Amino acid sequence: MAFTRKQLGIPYALFLLIFVVLPLLVVLYYAFTNGSGQFTFENFAQFFTNGKALGTLLYSFVIALITTGLCLLIAYPTAYFLAKGRIPHGAAWLLIIVLPMWINFTLRLTAMKEILSFLEGNLAYHPFLNTIIGMTYDFLPFMVLPLYNTMEKMDHQLIDAARDLGASDAVVIRRVMIPLSMPGIVSGVTMVFLPAMTNYVVLDMMYNSTYIMGSLIGSYFSAYNWHDGSMISTVLLLLIGLLSWISKKAGADTEEGGAIL
Amino acid sequence: MRRRLIAGLVTVCMMIPLVGCSGKEQEASGEIVLRIANCEEYIDEGDWDEEETIELEDGTTILGENALVDDFEEWYEETYGQKIRVEYSTYGTNEELYNQMSLGDVFDVVCPSEYMIMKLMKEDRLMPLSETFFDDSVEENYYSRYASDYIKGVFTDLSMNGHTISEYAGCYMWGTLGIVYNPAELTADEVAHYAIFMNPKYAKQVTMKDSIRDSYFAGLAIRNAEEFQSEEFLAQPDYRDVLSERMNDTSQDTVDEVEDILSDMRENVYSLETDSGKADMVTGKVLANLQWSGDAVYTMDQAEEDGVELAYSVPTECTNLWFDGWVMMKNGIEEDARKQQAAEAFINFLSRPDNAIRNMYYIGYTSPIAGDADNTLVYQYLDYNYGAEDEEEAVAYDLGYFFGEDAPHVINAPEEQMNRQLFTQYPTEEVLQRSVVMRYFEGDANDRIAQMWTNIRCFDVKKLFRK
Repeated sequence: MAFTRKQLGIPYALFLLIFVVLPLLVVLYYAFTNGSGQFTFENFAQFFTNGKALGTLLYSFVIALITTGLCLLIAYPTAYFLAKGRIPHGAAWLLIIVLPMWINFTLRLTAMKEILSFLEGNLAYHPFLNTIIGMTYDFLPFMVLPLYNTMEKMDHQLIDAARDLGASDAVVIRRVMIPLSMPGIVSGVTMVFLPAMTNYVVLDMMYNSTYIMGSLIGSYFSAYNWHDGSMISTVLLLLIGLLSWISKKAGADTEEGGAIL
Repeated sequence: MRRRLIAGLVTVCMMIPLVGCSGKEQEASGEIVLRIANCEEYIDEGDWDEEETIELEDGTTILGENALVDDFEEWYEETYGQKIRVEYSTYGTNEELYNQMSLGDVFDVVCPSEYMIMKLMKEDRLMPLSETFFDDSVEENYYSRYASDYIKGVFTDLSMNGHTISEYAGCYMWGTLGIVYNPAELTADEVAHYAIFMNPKYAKQVTMKDSIRDSYFAGLAIRNAEEFQSEEFLAQPDYRDVLSERMNDTSQDTVDEVEDILSDMRENVYSLETDSGKADMVTGKVLANLQWSGDAVYTMDQAEEDGVELAYSVPTECTNLWFDGWVMMKNGIEEDARKQQAAEAFINFLSRPDNAIRNMYYIGYTSPIAGDADNTLVYQYLDYNYGAEDEEEAVAYDLGYFFGEDAPHVINAPEEQMNRQLFTQYPTEEVLQRSVVMRYFEGDANDRIAQMWTNIRCFDVKKLFRK
């Protein structure tokens, strides 16, 4: 018995409907209604006039930004050498970097905590630093993998050609390598930046008791305040949408650039 | 378990979809279906090792072979001649339970904490216990017969909407709020006050729970510390009422002052821990931790296994007398007499002294069941746990308020137990004199305190400009 493409798509469409679309509608309903079920923009206005919520947004943004920057800084050269460095047993090295992903991340962080305690003495004095270290450690593989995949497909001859034509190392990196690996950078950044804004488990485990977006939403829900909690989720969703749109655009632009090259 | 939050790990609620067990089906099979929701890990689940058998002085042996819920089904059929099936599910926190029920889950019997019981009473969602439940002449009415008069008294003193808690709830576990500490590093005087959490001498070496209500309680106690310990205050004839009123103060001014105290405290403490407190005390990273007595016992037991001795202190300002209790939900029971009988029988079955002991052993919390002059199992269990082997070095520990003066009530325990597990599980009457039940914060008060907590926890943008 043969299935048409449409029929094969049914399970996934159902999944999307029940677990993505419906919950989203519920969130939107709560975000734009008040306690008595009437439509209102008040929750929306409240978020943008609430210094604490904005402070949390800023704090989450800064954490996510630094984490993403660090991940990129570490992952980029690593991925390059793994993909193009002609080092022996490259695949094995890649495996070593990806391996931690197979272990539950709370376990990994617990181990990380012990090492940091050994180095710092009392962890509680550096909650921000430890959060960044924990997040970077946690998200690094998500940055390495997409970068590795793009760089593996990158034509090395283009780099040689640029060199032959007299480009310095800096110019090669800036004008050839980065544009060519842009799709990997974009997907790596999306995979790190967005979860880093809400991952409060790392903060909890690193004894950082300042809220980030995830914990702020949770705190509203546990105080039975569905409306404000849903509004924050909606704002976060819009932000994520905006960022994905920007990164998609960035990705598309570089593809054109690549063609010109 | 009520007091043990498992951080981060997404709690998988074992919500059994209740589709398909409609009333008609029940009638057809003649089987009662009782839907029970309880905190996680908050009942004996059986499967003990043979060597865990509890052998009491009068020859009684207690061993949890099967889960208590299974034993109940069997006992109910033997006793009442009716088949029963328990649908047992669990939740992580009181708020989770409340949210589940708001979203449409229906239960017959649930086990919330005191403030949630009050909230449910306020919303008129609870079914009162029947008159038969309180009839002492019925053999199976174990709760009414064996629960400590002291706890029963607390339940009749507390009221909401003109009804007392005792009309609706059977106490399951109870205890105090206090400080677990490392006696090798801290003196008893230092841990006799909640202010230890603000002491710069122990900066980043003491830890608090990540809990709004508990933190508010500690902050309020610090705010009122001096007054609470003054002689005039203690000498007032209605001392306990005044104390209770002051510790349930949620006026804006008070909340603001507590916010300042807790903001400072957050800077001083190691963390607002969710589930790391125990491990950090064993490794010595943390010297003192605010905990519920039930969890404190567990922490001390675990530390002992690792060769670290910890102790428990109840601050002199006051303590929070907390309890979890079984209540029946109106929308579950639906005035079905058979169901109500089964629900009450469940509460009674858990209150049978041997079952109470099984739960205490399994969970580490303290049951309100005391027994009487004829049934001294709980007293024997205490003696079995804490009784001194060397009578000469023993100290007489008087628990008359709990067991009643007519029943055996003095444990001869080693001196070290005076600030360890025995004291934690069963505080002295003197400690309970300064205990307060923290009520449910209604409407605006709840919003004020929730807002206070958010203020403390959120990153303050103004901080950037101040520097």
